[in-house]
Amino acid sequence: MKFSLVPAVLAVIISLAGSTQANNDKSDAKSSEKIERSTPVDPHASITLCVMSGKLVVRGWDKSEVHARSTDADQLQFRRVDKSKDPSSVPTRIDVMVIDKQNQRGDCQAIADVEMDVPKEATVQLQTRDGDIYIYGVGGAFAGSQNGDITIERASRFVEAGSVGGSILLKDSSGRVNLSSAGGGVEAYNVKPVSLDDTFEVGTVSGDIQLERVSNAKLSAKTVSGTVTMTGPLAKAGDYGFTTMGGDVVLMLPRDASFRLNARISANSDIVSDFPLKYVAEPPAPPAPKREPVPEAKAKTPKAETKESKAEMKGDKGSKTGPIIAPIIVPRVVVVNPFKRITAICGSGDANITLSSFGGTLHLKKM
Amino acid sequence: MKQCLDEGMLQSYFDGELPTSLMESATSHLASCASCAAAVRELEEENALLSEAFALEFSESVPTERLRRRVDAAVAGLQVVRPLVHQPSAISGFFSSLSNLFSFAPQRALGYAALMVVLAFGLIFGLVKLRSSGPTAPENIAKQGTPSDKVAVVPPQESVKPDAGGPAAPTALTPKKASPPIRASYKSTVPKLIAPKPAPVKLLPGERAYLQTIAKLDSTIKQDENNMRPALQAEYQRNLAVVDRAIAASRTAAKKNPNDPDAADFMFAAYQSKVDFLNTIADARVYNGRQ
Repeated sequence: MKFSLVPAVLAVIISLAGSTQANNDKSDAKSSEKIERSTPVDPHASITLCVMSGKLVVRGWDKSEVHARSTDADQLQFRRVDKSKDPSSVPTRIDVMVIDKQNQRGDCQAIADVEMDVPKEATVQLQTRDGDIYIYGVGGAFAGSQNGDITIERASRFVEAGSVGGSILLKDSSGRVNLSSAGGGVEAYNVKPVSLDDTFEVGTVSGDIQLERVSNAKLSAKTVSGTVTMTGPLAKAGDYGFTTMGGDVVLMLPRDASFRLNARISANSDIVSDFPLKYVAEPPAPPAPKREPVPEAKAKTPKAETKESKAEMKGDKGSKTGPIIAPIIVPRVVVVNPFKRITAICGSGDANITLSSFGGTLHLKKM
Repeated sequence: MKQCLDEGMLQSYFDGELPTSLMESATSHLASCASCAAAVRELEEENALLSEAFALEFSESVPTERLRRRVDAAVAGLQVVRPLVHQPSAISGFFSSLSNLFSFAPQRALGYAALMVVLAFGLIFGLVKLRSSGPTAPENIAKQGTPSDKVAVVPPQESVKPDAGGPAAPTALTPKKASPPIRASYKSTVPKLIAPKPAPVKLLPGERAYLQTIAKLDSTIKQDENNMRPALQAEYQRNLAVVDRAIAASRTAAKKNPNDPDAADFMFAAYQSKVDFLNTIADARVYNGRQ
C-alpha cells in the first residue's frame, strides 16, 4: 500500500508543477501582449502623455492620427480635452491615459513603456519620473523627467525640456529652445531659429553645457558650477549671454569671428583668448542702491597700450566703437587678471558676448 | 543672526517648525555660514538615511512633539478627574482570581514557564537599553551647557562678526517646568533646547525678497521631503550644496565690497540660481506627490 502511494504522490507533484509552468507561460504571454490604440487628431494637435516610470518614445509621421502602443500597459485610452462644440470634429487636444496592471489609475501613475506616432506638426507634452524620453520629428516638445535622460531630435517649432538629474540632448531642431537640468548635462547640436525672436536658453546647477552649431541669435547659458562649451559660428548681431558662478566658459569660434565682449568677472576669474582683443574703455558701473559711489579700481594696462592711449588723449578718434584706450596685439594668449569689467572687440564686433563669471575662466579658442 | 544656530534650532529649521521670522533669519544665516550649512546638510543626510532605513516603522503614524504634549496634558487631566473606585465585590473577585492563578495545574505550568522566559528576556532587554541610554537627564543638561560641547555650540564663522561681548556664549538650555511625575520623567529624558533670540540680520538691499522666497520654497519642499525618492533626494542635496557654496562665496564678496554693484549682482545671481533650483525641485516634488 505504501509503495503504491509513492507514485501517486509523485504524479500529483509533477502535474501541479506542470500546471504552474503552464500558468506562468500564460501570464508571460499576457504580459507581452502589445496594446495598440489609434485616433484621428488635428495635424497641429497637442498630445499629453504622463507616466510614473517607463520609457516614452514619440515619433512624428505624416498621418493626422495618433497611434499609441505599449507592451506593459493594461489599458491605453485617449481622452479628448479640447472644448470643441462639434463632436464630429477631430480633437485638437488629447490626453493619452496609460493604466498599468498594478495601478488602476490613469493620472501619471502607470509604470509602462509607451511608444507613440503623432502628426509631425503636433505638440507633445511628455512627463515621466524615472524613465527616459525620446522625441523625434514633431512640431513642439515639452518634456520633463526627474532622473531620466531626454533626447529630442528634429523638433521644428520649439522645445522645452527639464530634468533634475538626467541629461538632455537636443539635435537638428529649430525654433525657441529652453533646456534646464540641475545635475545632468545638456547638449545641443545643430539648432537654428525659425524667427528672429527665437531664443535659446539653457541652465544647469552642476551639469555641463555643450552647444555646437547653435545659430539662434539670442542665446543665454547659465550654470553654477558646470562648464559651458559653445562651438560654432556666431550669429551676426547675435546676443550671447553666459553666467557662471564657478564653472568655466569655453567658446570655440571660427578664426574670422567678429564679436564684442562685455565681461564682468571677479578677481578669481580669468580670460584666456586666442583672438586679438582690442580693449575698450570700461563702461561706468551703475550706481549701487543706497550706497556712496566709489571710484572703480583701474585696470592695469600693458606697456604697449601707452602710445595708443596717448594718441587717444590727443584726439585720435578713428574708431566707431568708442574711446579705445588699449588696442593691443595679442600674439597667442592673453591672461587678464584681475579686471572687474572688460569690454573688448574682436574684428568689427558684430556679435555681442556678455559674460558674468564669479569664479570661472573664459576661454576664447579658435576652431 | 550673528550667532551660529544651535542643534535645537537647526532641528526646528529642518523640521520646518520655526516661525516665519526665525526661518528667514535662519535661512539668511545658513546662506552665509558654511559650518551651519554643513551642519544642516549633515542633519538632512542623517534624517534621509534614517528615514530610508526605518521606512516601515516611519510609515506608522508617530505623534509629533506638540501632539505628544497634548496627549500628556490630557492624560494628566484624566488622572486628576478620574478617582479610583474600589467596590468590595470587585476586591473579593480579584483575590479569588489571584488564588486561581496560583493553582499550578499541569497546563498552567507550561504557560508560567513561557511567561518567565518572556519576562527574563524583557528584563535583559531593559537592562541593555538602560546601559546604552547613557547619562541621566541632568547630566545631559549640564554637559550641553558647557562651552566645550561641539554639537550644541558651533564656533562663529569668519564671515559672521562676533558679538561685542566676545565669542558666542554657550547656548542657554532651559528644561521645561516640572509637571506631574509621569510627565516630568518623560521631559527629563529629552532636554529641550530653547533657541536664543536671533540678532537682526543686516541684509543687503534686495536680499530680503530672495530670502523670503527661498524660505517659502524651502518649507514647501520640507513638508514632504521624506516622500522624495532617494535618487531625487541625493540630487537635491548635492546641488543644494553647490548652490549654497556659491551663495556663501558671493555673499562674502558682496559684504567685503559693499560699494561694488557687481559683487551684489553676483550674489543675486547665486540667489536666483537657488530659487530656480528650488522651484524645479518643488515641481518635481508635486509630481512625486501624485503617487
